[in-house]
Parts: sequence; C-alpha cells; structure tokens
Amino acid sequence: MDQQRRTFIGSVGSAAALGLAGCLTRDDEESSSSGDPDDPDLEGTLTVVSYDSMIDEDNPAGPWLKEAFEEEYPDAELEWVSLPDQGIAHYINQAQGGQRIDADVYVGLNIDDLVSVDDNLEEGGLFRELNTDRIDRSGRIRDGLDMGDPHDRVLAYDTGYISLVYDENVVDEPETFEDLTDPAYEGALIAQSAQTSDPGQAFLLWTIDAFGEDGYLDYWSELRDNDIRVLDGWTESYYGPYMEEERPMIVSYSTDQVFASAEGHDLSRHQVAFLNDQGYANPEGMGIFEDAEAVDLAYAFLDFVLSNDAQAEIAQRNVQFPAVEAEYVDLDDDFDQYAHVPPEAVTVGYDDLRGNLDGWVDDWGREFASH
Amino acid sequence: MSLDARLSIDRDRASAWLEHHALPVAALATAAVLVVMLYFPVGIVFSEAFLEDGIPTLGHFTDVLTDPFYFGVLADVFAEPLALGTHLGSLAAWLGAVSISLTVEYPIPGVGIPVPWIGLDTPGVRQGLFGFTAYQAALSTLASVAIGLPAAYILANYEFYGRRTLRSLTILPFVLPGIMVAVGFYAMFGQAGTLNTLLGAVGLGPFAFVETNPLAIVVLAHAFYNAPLVARLTVAAWESVDARTVETARSLGASERRAFRDVVVPQLAPAVLTGALMTFIFTFMTFPIVLALGGLQLATVEVWIYDRIQRLDYAEAATLAILETVLSLGLTYAYLRYESAQAGLARAPSPPPKERLLPDLRTALSPRRLAVFGYGLVALVLFVGPMASLVVGSFTDGSGFTLRNYAFLLERQLEGASFQTQPLPAIRNSLLFGVATLLVAVPMGVVVSMVTVRAGRTGRLVDTLAMLPLAVSGVVFGIGLLQGLVFGISLPGGWRFQVTGAVAIVVAHAVAAYPFVTRNVSPVLGSLDPAMVESARALGASRARALLDIELPLVASAIVAGAAFAFAISIGEFSSTVILASGGEHYTMPVAVERYLGRRSGPAIAMGTLLLVVTAASFVVIDRVGGRYER
Repeated sequence: MDQQRRTFIGSVGSAAALGLAGCLTRDDEESSSSGDPDDPDLEGTLTVVSYDSMIDEDNPAGPWLKEAFEEEYPDAELEWVSLPDQGIAHYINQAQGGQRIDADVYVGLNIDDLVSVDDNLEEGGLFRELNTDRIDRSGRIRDGLDMGDPHDRVLAYDTGYISLVYDENVVDEPETFEDLTDPAYEGALIAQSAQTSDPGQAFLLWTIDAFGEDGYLDYWSELRDNDIRVLDGWTESYYGPYMEEERPMIVSYSTDQVFASAEGHDLSRHQVAFLNDQGYANPEGMGIFEDAEAVDLAYAFLDFVLSNDAQAEIAQRNVQFPAVEAEYVDLDDDFDQYAHVPPEAVTVGYDDLRGNLDGWVDDWGREFASH
Repeated sequence: MSLDARLSIDRDRASAWLEHHALPVAALATAAVLVVMLYFPVGIVFSEAFLEDGIPTLGHFTDVLTDPFYFGVLADVFAEPLALGTHLGSLAAWLGAVSISLTVEYPIPGVGIPVPWIGLDTPGVRQGLFGFTAYQAALSTLASVAIGLPAAYILANYEFYGRRTLRSLTILPFVLPGIMVAVGFYAMFGQAGTLNTLLGAVGLGPFAFVETNPLAIVVLAHAFYNAPLVARLTVAAWESVDARTVETARSLGASERRAFRDVVVPQLAPAVLTGALMTFIFTFMTFPIVLALGGLQLATVEVWIYDRIQRLDYAEAATLAILETVLSLGLTYAYLRYESAQAGLARAPSPPPKERLLPDLRTALSPRRLAVFGYGLVALVLFVGPMASLVVGSFTDGSGFTLRNYAFLLERQLEGASFQTQPLPAIRNSLLFGVATLLVAVPMGVVVSMVTVRAGRTGRLVDTLAMLPLAVSGVVFGIGLLQGLVFGISLPGGWRFQVTGAVAIVVAHAVAAYPFVTRNVSPVLGSLDPAMVESARALGASRARALLDIELPLVASAIVAGAAFAFAISIGEFSSTVILASGGEHYTMPVAVERYLGRRSGPAIAMGTLLLVVTAASFVVIDRVGGRYER
C-alpha cells in the first residue's frame, strides 16, 4: 500500500516535469496496518520527519540512527524526511484540509507543538496515544522529563537547557533575573524573539515562571529600559552580535562550551550562567502520527531511540542531554566536562501553556514592539 | 503541387498566423500563468480576511484599522472618521508643540566631524506598526537612491578596466539569503568585525557601529540590497539615452548643465523613480533583515504577518497583508500615472560617450575624479565589506585559518546519504531554475510592457495589477502556494488539483521575476518615439514584427538588465522554492544554506560563499551573452 502511494506521488512530479504546471490526481483509498502488538509487522519503510539539523547539519545523528536501526531490523528501511519550514503548523494545516499525512514518526516535538495541535485541531489529535507497554525502554526516561501531555502522545528523547552565555572579561556572572536589570548589565544582553525562535520562547516562558503571568511584562519593561536587544533567531544573534563582540551576554544553550572548545574559541568568552540557579528545560519528544502506516516499526523505532547507544549518539551529535537515567547511557568525558546541567530545571508544562501561550507571546510582542 | 510545397505553404501560413497572433497568445499564456500561480494561491489566503466562521464580514479590517498598535494616532481617525473637529483639535495642539532648532551634531561615533543639524523637536506621535514600517521604508528608499545614483553615474559615464564586469556584479547582493546578510553585516561592522580590525591597525576604534544606531544599520542593510537595484535600472536607462538630443540642445545654446537637466534627466527620471518605488515596496515588506539587525523594537508589519501565520491566525494575517498590498499597489498606480505622462523623445539609443576614468595623473586628481574614488571607497566598505567578511569567515574558526567547512561540503558531496542535501545538486538546480526562469520571465515581462505602455488608463490598471508579485507579502504568498498548490484542492469525484515539482518552482520564480523585466523595459519603451512604430505598421508590419525589428533592439539594454534580475530573483528565492520542492530533490543553493545551518555556522557560510561565487560567474556570463544584443 505504502509503495503504491509513493509511486503516485512520483507520478505527480513527473507529470509536472513533462511541462504540465497543474495536474489532477486521484486519492486512493487507504488502509493502514492494524498495529497488532502480539504479531508486529517489522517489514517495510518507516518514514520519520525531523528538523534539518538531525539530517543535514555537520555530523548529524540521523544517518547513524538510520544505519543502526536498519541493522537491528534488517527488513526495515528508515526514510528521513526534512521537517517543512513551518514546523508543526504544516501538519495542522494539512489535517485541517482533510489530507492524510504521509509520515509515521515525528522526531523533535515540543510541548507547545502539542498545545498548538489541541488548540487548533480536535483535543488529543494528530498523534497517537502511545501504548508504553510496547516501548520497553520508556521506563528509563528520567523523572522530570515527562512532557505532561494528558493524551500521552509523546516521549522525550533528549533535552536541552536554556541558560545565559557570557564573556567573563566584560561582565560578572549574573546570578538572578533581577541582576539583569542592574545598570552593570545595561546594554549587555541579547535575547531572541519569542515569536520567531525556540530559545527566545523558552526564555520568555522562564520569565513567566519566575515572575508569574501578572509580573512578567513589568520585568520585561525593565529589561527593555536596561537596553536588552531582542533579535530574530538564535543563529543570527549568536553568530552576529555575540561572536562579533557587540554585546557580552546572550540567551543560549548550556552546552555552549562543547562547540566553543571544539572550534578553538577562548572559553572565557563562553561562560555559562544559570539565573536563580535554574535552567529552562526544553525536552524534545517523539510521537507517532495518527495516519501512520508502519505502526509496529514506529513503536520499534521509539524503543530503539531510547537504547544506550542511540541515546549517547543523539546526545553527542545533537549536543543535547540524553533523556534516560545516567545508568543507561555512556557519554564521552569531554561532553561531561563542557556540557553544564543547571542545579534546578524549570519548564512550563502543558496545562499552563494550553490556551495561554499565544496570548502571553502576543502581549509581550505588542508591549515590546510598540512604536 | 508537391507535398514539400504544400508543407511550406502551410508553414508560411502557420508562421503568418503566429506572427499576427503572437502577442495575444503570449498575453493569454501570461494571464493563465498568473491566475494559477499567483491570483489563485494568494486569493485563497486573502479570502480569509473577509470571513468569520464562514460568514462574510469586514470586522477584521475594522479591528486592525482602529487598533493603535497597528495604526497609532490614525486609529482614532479610522475609529471615528466623522469627528473632524476632534481630530483637527489634536492636530493643532500637536503643531503648537513643534519646535525647530539649528544645532551641530557629531554623527560618526568617535570621529569629531561636526555636521550642522536641523533639530526638529516634535511631541511624540504614536506611529503604530504601519507608520513605523512606512517610516523606515522611506529612509531606506532615500538611502538606496542616494547610494545607487552615483554608482549609475560612474558606470554609465566612465570607461575603466572591468567596468562591464562590475556592472554585471552590481546585483550580486540581491541573491544573498537574509541571514547571510545579517551575519555578513556583523562580521563587517561588529566590534570584532573587519572594519574595526582594519581601523585598529591604524590606531582607531573600536567603534560600536551597530549598537550606536540600530535603525541606521537596518537602513544600510536595506540599501545593500536595493541601491544596486536603483543603480542597475538607472544605468540601463542612461545607456538608452538618445545623446543626439543633448547635442541638439547644446547646438541651440544650452549650457552643459542645462542640457543635462532638460534632456538627460527627463529620460532618466522614470528609471530612478521606478527604483525608488520598488525599494519602498520591498523595504515596506521587509522581514528577516529588520529582525536580525534591528531587533523586535524595529518590528515591521511583515513580522506580525509571519507571527499570525505561525499561530494559525490566518484572518488577521490576511487582513494585514491586504492592507500592505493595497498600499503598495496604490503607490504603484500613482507612479505609473507619472510614467505614462512622460512624452516619448528617444529614436535610437546613442548614449553619451564614456570618458576614460584615469587618462592621466592630473585628471585623476581633479575634484570630480576624487569624488568618484571617495564613492568607490564607500561602496567597497558597504557592498564588498560584508560579502568579503563572509568569505573570510568561511575560512576561519577560533584558532585561525581552516578548510574544515569546505571539507564538510566535499565530504557531503562524496559520501552524503541520498536523503541529505548535497552541494552539487543544489548548484545544478539553482542554475537550471535560473536559466529556465529567465526564459519564461523575459517574454512575460516584455509582453506586459507591450500591452500596457501607452494603453491609457486601462493599461495602467493592468500594469498595476501585474505588479502584484512585488506587492504581496512573501509570507502570505508562501502559505497560499502551500495550501492552494502543494496540499491542493479537492474536486468532486475524489480528484485533487495539485502543483509541485521543478516546473512549478520555475513558474513561481518567473512570476516573482517578470515584474523586474517589465519595470526595466517599460520606462525605456515608453520613452521611445511612437511615430517609429506607427510608420512600420503603416508599411504593413505586424505588431509583433514591429516589436521584434524596431522596439526590442532599442530597449535591449533594459531587457538584459531585466534578464539579469530574473536570474538573480530565481537564484535568491527561498520560501516558495522550499515549499514547492516539498522535501524532494529540487533543493537550490539558498535552501542548502538554510539546511546546513546548525549550532555551527561554518558549513552554511561556506555554502553561502559557493552561492556567491557561482552567481557572480553567472552574472558575468549573462551580461556577456546579453551584451551581443545591445546595439
């Protein structure tokens, strides 16, 4: 069945290549395998969607995962598909238009993606409720990385911590959020817009966690008075004003030194600060699409991702922290030395985000961009 | 009658038919392409602005127009348009509080050059998002014209080694992805950037160029993109100037300055204003640059459209986008009224002879030559600086020189898996799409020019609507393509209408590109003396024949410029390419840059360097090939 649909998509491409700008195609009736846990069907193609850095970055985890997974399941083929530019909104759109989604697994789900799904589609939609009995290693996941989805559609496979990175030659280590509004840090901090960037949104949610729904805007207006610069995305802000020494402090990842040391940069410009002794945890999760066809393989893949080797490879290649307890994964010493874990991890969970996130970001954006 | 003879008669008939109907057929084909690839997808998204739960409404427009966040003080006016007394009262109070003073300012940080400055002290006016967006677009337009015109003057009036190559390369900035420009600007103007390093070598600085005035940096980055546009359009017009009219004016006793003002300037003005108009429209809809260099405090309307789309609030996104489009098309219409009012004078392009830039040392020290060199230095810093800094960045890491980023590209090419993005296919696709776009967009653009120039008010209206690709929010166009063409539309009987793949990408690029051809060609075509075509027609030539034999050779310079732009647009295009390629193997160079971007920026910057090199080489080839058709 799966094979058939691929050919039909291929024919769309070739008809177009013949010079027909438009074309008509006919939807086939679809039937997916039942996904019987007792008699799993571990043959065929598993289509996995993930963001570009899983597939195309320097030394990505994707090709390793494909090779290792296919070794373990010789009758299976793993096919990586790069996540469309719009992210989860692409699939929400597609589902709203009544179209089938041509993928089995999504690797890289955030909690707010699920909130967006539930706010825009039906409650608990787009992904299957996971039967954790079919994922033996799901018990290895660390406490605190439960992503809090009431519909159990997602399991964490790694996590990152948002922290500050600063240049100790220019500023002292900031210890609290209040420090950032101190004259000593005037014109020092670079952040990213919560509208356009994941770390930016994480930092905004962190301030909401610290100051509450009623207090975060006041705090941000103090940050604004202290001349914070809020830029587009992480790449521009890091490789622009931070690396070109325009400003000595930036909202970034607590694994910063792993890259800085590998690139031969002076680590005094790459110090990590945890405000209030916290870091904002951004667990990344994986889920199985409701429209998935290779359901058995999908379950096998989720379990495989939580295995020792896969966890170590993902952590080191993505430069994120593993999702499983330390006893289930061996990391290089270098990684342990340069990747810092905050004393306390905070995160704003599903229940709080639901119905609030868009409003929080919008109020913040309007306050900040007000001309 | 032999078969051969009959065939030959048939062929003659066919070609005669084609010759007579060529223009209408081409116009129809152009219209069909526009309906499928532009009006339909954009219409799908725009229609959301008029619906609330499926019921027609104008409520979204009322909400946006009366929201001070979007329209500042104007929101009150929109809320109560009839309360004239109140509005006039607040205007009077505002005017009463304005004060003007003359002061001396030191605009360059750290350098004590005093500049007389007219201080205009006005009580704060809430501009709103639209007001600020228009304000920064106006500043960017002024800067782009101010920086673009001297370049046009030099390229059109002086002869020097490498002039043609330089002319070809002027539009290179056009193809750079926004993120590369942002990173390039920081790498050039940052405190640890190239410029400060060079100044530091002679004991100056470091200067906080970026931090001192973020708005100024955003405006400069906009000029980086758009001054070349102004320059290229103006050079094309300058090279089509009928210099004999200048000689006539001179022989009638006009001074050199007078002849320039009365004869050359009117022939250049449409091109300059076209450049200004396009710059305003582009920078009005600016998105990544303003956020990456200026930050959220300098947010524009397009930033909010992007946000609304991400949050799936299509109604508000569409409303904002329609207001953007209405404003842009309104300006376009106003400009076209002006353009069509310009009387045709030129009968043949005979550009003024070019002076040698450096005939001897004495001339080289003349004030005019020194000004040219001074401008060259500015252009070097502003245009070459950021690009060169990117190239340098691709060869360095924390410990100095490295080839690691290029080793990555090579390794990906040789050992990459089939599902990974590889450099060579990206280059091949970019070039193929670029050439194909050029072949589609040039006829489309020329046809639109033909149909609309001198066609009175109807022509202006058609021309205005034909400029829609420039005037539609890029974010909205992308979403329209996704929903209308990639996801497709369900038809009765289980059929589905879908458009993706290579041809769709080329056509989408051509739709984005043909307005550049039209805007290059129309001002020059309009300035031709209509009597020439009329005599040809009176002698029995078809319209198409008259076009091919008389008009096109006269506007060749503009067509070559338009073709170069069409190619550049295709090479630089990102959003519709990535949507229509839908994950397949049709990725291009900018898509590869985006995909290589990760926690390490090196691989992406190396790919960006490759993009620059390949594009630069192509521009030179296009101009050389195209140059054969110029006169």
